[in-house]
Amino acid sequence: MANEDTNKKKISFQVIFPFLGLILILLLFSILTGGKLFSASSLKSTMNDGIYILLGTIGFTLLSAMGQMDFSIGFNMGVSCAVCCLVANAVSIYASIPAAIATGLVIGCVNGVIVTKTRISPMIATMGMMFILQGGVLVILNGSVLQAPLTMMSLYTTPLKILLLAGGIVLGFVLLEKTKYGRISKAIGASPETVRQTGINANKYKLITYIIVGGICGILGFVSLARTGSATNSTGGTLLFNCMNATLLGGVPLTGGPTTKFRGALLGALTISFLVTGMTLMRISAQNQQLIKGIIFLIAVGICFDRKNLKVIK
Amino acid sequence: MSEEKLMLKVEHMYKNFGITKALQDVSFGVRQGQILGLIGENGSGKSTVTSIIAALQSADSGTMYLEGEEYKPKNSVEAIEKGICMILQEKGTFDLLTVAKNIFVGKEELFVKHGFLDVKAMNREAQKALDAIHAENIRAEMPLAALNFEDRKLVEVARAMYSNPKILVVDETTTALNRNGRDILYEIMKEMKENDKSVIFISHDLDEIMSVCDTVTILRDGVYIDTIEKSDYAAPVLRKLMVGREVSDNYYRTDKESCKNPEVVLKMDHVSCKDVKDVSFELHKGEILGFGGLGDCGMHILGNVAFGLTDPDLGKVTAGDGTVIKDAHVAMQKKIAYISKNRDQETLMVSCSIKDNVCLASYDKIAKGPFVFKKDEEKFIEEHSKGLEIKMQNTDQYVMELSGGNKQKVALAKWLGFGADIFILDCPTRGIDIGVKSNIYQLMIELRKQGKSIIMISEEMAEVIGMSDRVIILKEGRISGEFKREEGVTELVLIDYMV
Repeated sequence: MANEDTNKKKISFQVIFPFLGLILILLLFSILTGGKLFSASSLKSTMNDGIYILLGTIGFTLLSAMGQMDFSIGFNMGVSCAVCCLVANAVSIYASIPAAIATGLVIGCVNGVIVTKTRISPMIATMGMMFILQGGVLVILNGSVLQAPLTMMSLYTTPLKILLLAGGIVLGFVLLEKTKYGRISKAIGASPETVRQTGINANKYKLITYIIVGGICGILGFVSLARTGSATNSTGGTLLFNCMNATLLGGVPLTGGPTTKFRGALLGALTISFLVTGMTLMRISAQNQQLIKGIIFLIAVGICFDRKNLKVIK
Repeated sequence: MSEEKLMLKVEHMYKNFGITKALQDVSFGVRQGQILGLIGENGSGKSTVTSIIAALQSADSGTMYLEGEEYKPKNSVEAIEKGICMILQEKGTFDLLTVAKNIFVGKEELFVKHGFLDVKAMNREAQKALDAIHAENIRAEMPLAALNFEDRKLVEVARAMYSNPKILVVDETTTALNRNGRDILYEIMKEMKENDKSVIFISHDLDEIMSVCDTVTILRDGVYIDTIEKSDYAAPVLRKLMVGREVSDNYYRTDKESCKNPEVVLKMDHVSCKDVKDVSFELHKGEILGFGGLGDCGMHILGNVAFGLTDPDLGKVTAGDGTVIKDAHVAMQKKIAYISKNRDQETLMVSCSIKDNVCLASYDKIAKGPFVFKKDEEKFIEEHSKGLEIKMQNTDQYVMELSGGNKQKVALAKWLGFGADIFILDCPTRGIDIGVKSNIYQLMIELRKQGKSIIMISEEMAEVIGMSDRVIILKEGRISGEFKREEGVTELVLIDYMV
C-alpha cells in the first residue's frame, strides 16, 4: 500500500505531462523562431506532416492499448506508396487509391496472422516484417525513384487533408473510447489471462487491429504519393519513430491497459508535429533532428513509462 | 507486562494513505517468548503495522522500541540485521533462481571465493537451512519454478529463519500452506517461543489464531481495539471485537437436506489431465457441489477444466444439453461462470476500474450496436452490485485499491451481471475476513434458492461441509469419497479420505 500513494501522484503527473510537453514545445519554438511557428505557411506544413503523424499515432495507440505494437508501419507505408505509384502509372490515378489501401491491409493482415497464430512476440514479428518490406520497396522500385503521373498531385487537396485529419480524430476517438472494441482492447492490455477467462477471443481483436493499422499505412502511402508525386525507398522512413515518440509523449503506455487514452495520442501527435515543423524552421538538419527526437524519446520513456509493476502494489 | 521483558513496543503509530487513515494512534507490545496474534478485518491495518515494523514502509508518526531501545529502521535490510524478519502474504521469491539462491538472495557475498560464487557451499548451507525447518523434501539445488506454491512459501520461511530473527512476523502465510507446511510453521513458532524470542502472527482463521497464539491484539479500521490473553479467549467475543457488531457463529447453511433435483446441468465424464485422474461427476440444478482435498489434489485444475480453460487429455465436459465445453467461450454460452483461485491475476484486471471489471463479461448486453455508453455501464453496475455492498469510493476506483473481500465481490458482480446459471468458485473465501465471508455464503444460499448451481472448490473443510449439498473429496487426482449433506460428515472423517 505504500506505493499506492506515490503511484497516484505519479499517475496524475502522467496525466499532466502530455499537456506540459505540448505547451513547452509550442513556447520554445515560438520564441526560437520569433513567432514564425504560427505563420500560415508553417501551420500548413505542420498540417501536411501532421497527417502522417496523427493517423500513424492513432494506429499505433490502438495497438498499444492491447499491449501490441507494429514496427513495420513505416515500410508498410513505403510499400503501399510504391504499389500505388505502379498502379497509377499502369492503370489510373483513381485505381491507385484502392490499390494502396489494399496493399496496406494485406500487410497488416499478415502481421496479425503471424502474431496471433505463431505466438511470435509482436516486436520480433513486425520487426521481421519491417526488414522484409524494406527489401520489398527496393525490389518494387528497382532500387531507384518512381515518378507518378503529374495529375496525381492534383488529388492532394485541402478538403482531403481536412477529411483525413478530422476523420482520423473522430474515428479514433470513437473506436478507442466509445465502443466495445475499445473497452476490450484495453482489457487485453490490462490482463490477457482475465480476458481469456472471460471467454473473449483476444486474437480476433488483435487481428482486426493489425488490419486497421495496415489500412492506415495504405492510406498514408497514397497520401505520400499524392503529396510528393514520387515513391522512393525512404518513403515512410520517419513514420515509425515519429509515431512511437508521439505515443510515448502522449503518455500512452506501451503495455496498454486502462490508462490508454485517445487524448494522449492526439496530444502526442500534435507535439511531434510542431516539433518537426519547429526544427525545420530552425534549419536543423535531418540528422540532428533525428538526434533530438531520440533524446526526447528517452526522456518520454523515462517519465511516462510506469516501470513499476502495477500488480506488485497491494 | 513488565517493561524489561518487552521485545518490541509500538507507540502512537499513525499512517495515512491519501485520505485513508490506515493507522490511528496504534500502540501495542510483544513480550519475549510470546506469540502475538494480530487480527482484524481486511483494511484494519494489521498488514500495515507489521510492514512498518519490518521497515517495508515507514510510519507517518509514532515510535518503536526494540528491547527497550528506540528502533528506527531505515530499510528492511536494517530491520533484518536488528533481528526482525517477515514472511509475506504475497509471493516473495524469484522463479528463475534455484532454491539456494533464493534463500541467500542479497547475501551471495557469503559464498564468494576469489571472485567466484561457490555454488556448492551455498547449496550445502541452504540445505542446512531447509533441514532446520524440517523441509527436507525441498532440495537446495532445485530451480524454484519446479516447486509448488506451498514449497515456495517454505523456502521463504527458510530464508527468514536463516538470519536467526528475534522477531518473526508471519503475515497470513498459512493460507498458502497445506497441512504439512502449517505444521512446519507452527513448530518454528514454538521453537522461537521456547528460545525467548517473539512471533507476530497474522491470520484470518480465528480458530488457528486461538490455538497458536498466547495473546491476540485486535485492530479495526486502523484503530487499536483490545488485547486479550489466552485464558480469556472466546470466539464470539473476538469476532465481535473484530467486526464491531455481533456475528452469528453459524453463518453456513442451517438446513440438513441435500438437493433432490435430478436435472443435470454440467457433467464431467472420465476426465484426465495433468493432476486429475479419471474424474466423473454430475452437477444438478440448484445444487452446491463442494470439492475438497489437499492443496495439490487436483481440484483447482478441475475447475479450470470445467470452464473449458484447460483441455482434458481424456474424457469430456458437457453442459446439461450435451454440448461439449471446449473453451471458455462455449462455457459462457452455457451460462457458466468461473472465479479462479488466483483471482487477482486471472479473474480481475486489478489495474482497471471496478466498472471495467464488472462490465467485461457483459459488453454484448451493455453495448448498443458497437457502441458503449458510460451511462449504460453505470446502470448495469448499479443493477448488479446493489446487493453486494461493495465498499468503494465510486465505480471508477481501481480494483487494486480494494480489500480482498471487496475484490471478490467485484468478481462476483461481474458474473452475476453476466447472468450465469452455473458458478464455479475456486476458493471463494480465501484470504477474506469474516464479515465478507458471511456475505458470500448468504449470496451462495440465495443463488441456490434461485435454482442456480454452484461448484465450490475449497481447502477449508468447514466451509465445504457447511455449504455443500454434496461433497466430493479428491486425493491425488482421484475421487476418494462422496458424501451427501444429510449424512452429516465431519472434518475428521473427510481428512481420512484426503490423506
